Amino acid sequence: MFLNRQNSFLFLILAVSVGYLVSAMSLGAPVAESGLTPSFFPILVGAAAILFSTILIVQNRRETSGKTASDAPRVYTHLWVIAAIFVYIMAFRTVGYFISSGLFVFALIVIFSSVEKLVVKAVISAAIVAICYVMFQKLFGVRLPTLWG
Amino acid sequence: MDFIFQVFGSFSLLLDPFNMTYVVLGFVIGTIFAAIPGLTATLAMALLLPLTYSLNVETALMACASIYMAGMCGGSITATTINIPGAPSSMMTALDGYPMQQQGKGALALGHAALGSMFGGAVGALLLIAVAPFVAELSLLVKTTGKFSLLAFALIVVVIAQRGQVAKAGLAACIGLMLATVGLDAMEPITRFTYGNSNLTAGIALMPVIIGTFAIAEVLMQAFAPGDELATKAAADKVKIRRRDFIPPWSDIRKIGFVCYFKSCLIGYFVGTLPGAGGSMGSFLAYTETVRTSDEPETFGKGNPKGIVASESANNAVCGGAMVPMLTFGIPGDPITAIMLGVLVINGIQPGPQLMADQAGLIAPMLAALLFSAVFLIPLTLYLIGPYFIKIVSIRKDVLYAVIALLAIVGSYVATYSTFQMFMALAMGVLAFYLRRNGFPVITMLLGYILGPNLEEFLRRSLALSNGDPTTFVTNMDSLFFVLLTLVFVYFLVIRKPARNPAVEA
Repeated sequence: MFLNRQNSFLFLILAVSVGYLVSAMSLGAPVAESGLTPSFFPILVGAAAILFSTILIVQNRRETSGKTASDAPRVYTHLWVIAAIFVYIMAFRTVGYFISSGLFVFALIVIFSSVEKLVVKAVISAAIVAICYVMFQKLFGVRLPTLWG
Repeated sequence: MDFIFQVFGSFSLLLDPFNMTYVVLGFVIGTIFAAIPGLTATLAMALLLPLTYSLNVETALMACASIYMAGMCGGSITATTINIPGAPSSMMTALDGYPMQQQGKGALALGHAALGSMFGGAVGALLLIAVAPFVAELSLLVKTTGKFSLLAFALIVVVIAQRGQVAKAGLAACIGLMLATVGLDAMEPITRFTYGNSNLTAGIALMPVIIGTFAIAEVLMQAFAPGDELATKAAADKVKIRRRDFIPPWSDIRKIGFVCYFKSCLIGYFVGTLPGAGGSMGSFLAYTETVRTSDEPETFGKGNPKGIVASESANNAVCGGAMVPMLTFGIPGDPITAIMLGVLVINGIQPGPQLMADQAGLIAPMLAALLFSAVFLIPLTLYLIGPYFIKIVSIRKDVLYAVIALLAIVGSYVATYSTFQMFMALAMGVLAFYLRRNGFPVITMLLGYILGPNLEEFLRRSLALSNGDPTTFVTNMDSLFFVLLTLVFVYFLVIRKPARNPAVEA
């Protein structure tokens, strides 16, 4: 298959590199009378990134041609963790540190273990959130958002 | 000489209970993180980075130094007892440590590892204290063109040192350089790649990059490919360690020989000064050199304490070596010194030639803490909590990763009290995770990001000073030196292709 998992990632990097190079070129000519301009270095870096990603795509295509796809089951746990972090950040200032962090820690413990002994996990989550609050707010003087201001 | 006296005078700061608490706490945390397979002292330091805001710089740097030293020796615990190196730098230790454990000499193997670490750490720190001021003075001779060539040398060496994956390392470095170009241009009032987002005008901050790269990416890696927790715990439960067996007999030490200790230290120290080489490269080279010069090479890999000593002396000596380019040129030798550089920068201190002269009062306590950690904390920690070390791996991973994620996300909020930095840390974590998953070395991305701004500025200044003449890089002696040095490294690492390093590749 031409678009395997690693190749998809490399194509994404290539697309970002091309976008970066186009943005760099839109900053103006790379060399002016006064010397190098702010676009010179990004153009150089963008071109190098395109070169490296092209080499890797070609290498990857050569290595994977003739190989069958892996039978290993796909793991999506990391996507759940990313989603949990995203939701946590969204809720952090709105609902405050305690509620958002409590739910976040509880969700991660469940993601990393299993959906059983939920009461014990909830108690552990509450304890972690409380200890971290004391550490950040009291010990290191960090102001964390709370519902009471 | 003044600096050396200042370092030894700084030991008085360690008598302050506040400083001592942070140094000891840093050492214990570093040991725990290094001992748990999958976690590293780099992660511990990344998580503690936000907390340095509330500490004074001396205390923060002293704690960093003790975490660094602990991180290099902590990995030997699980490497020796259950054959799972807690840190990459301890992979060579497992080769002889675990066979000794199987022969019922696990505690003795840990004792040899601690002695080697203590010796390596102390020699590395002493060399750093003695050499750094001279390197700092020499670095004053390096002018603008030379600085560009030096930074280019560092970046090129980091890329070509990733043997077998140079293209990936090159692309990762380019991604780091791309991140470094976001925000206001250093020489002209123009913003680049901000796409109208005012949060990006000052560029991408160091804190979310470090927290994302080391903490969030690690949590995602563990979620994607969790280790065999039950097997590790079962192996750990079988291990019994007695305190009285730790101390290596004098006859063993004499048999290993002072030359082996000292040579391994020197190898580790010089490997440490090379950007991106790190502890695993240092211990690999010291181990192979010890096997090569041994009268009985066939005993290595079967429980020869000389192998443990070579590996551990070298990886702890790396600590001192890696700090030389970080302090004198602002070029980090490995991920931990990159974070230490972050602590300096976050506190408004610019590493470079003037640092040792202008801010010696801040740097001296850090070096004193490094030496103190090596000489006192390594043996003391082993003796006091050594028998319980192995229980560390029994920590519940679900709780551990939840705590790490919470500390990382809230920690990235601390710097600016804005959720933008939290999102940035998440974005950097996702990027680093996919890079690691696809076999890209993230250290090259981090070095590209850290060195990028200066690399661009010195390139433009050099060409402006020479009216656009690129031969300026070979006509100035300081620059020519680094150009030739780059060519030497390219020859030895790319053209001659030396022996592969299994520890680095694994």
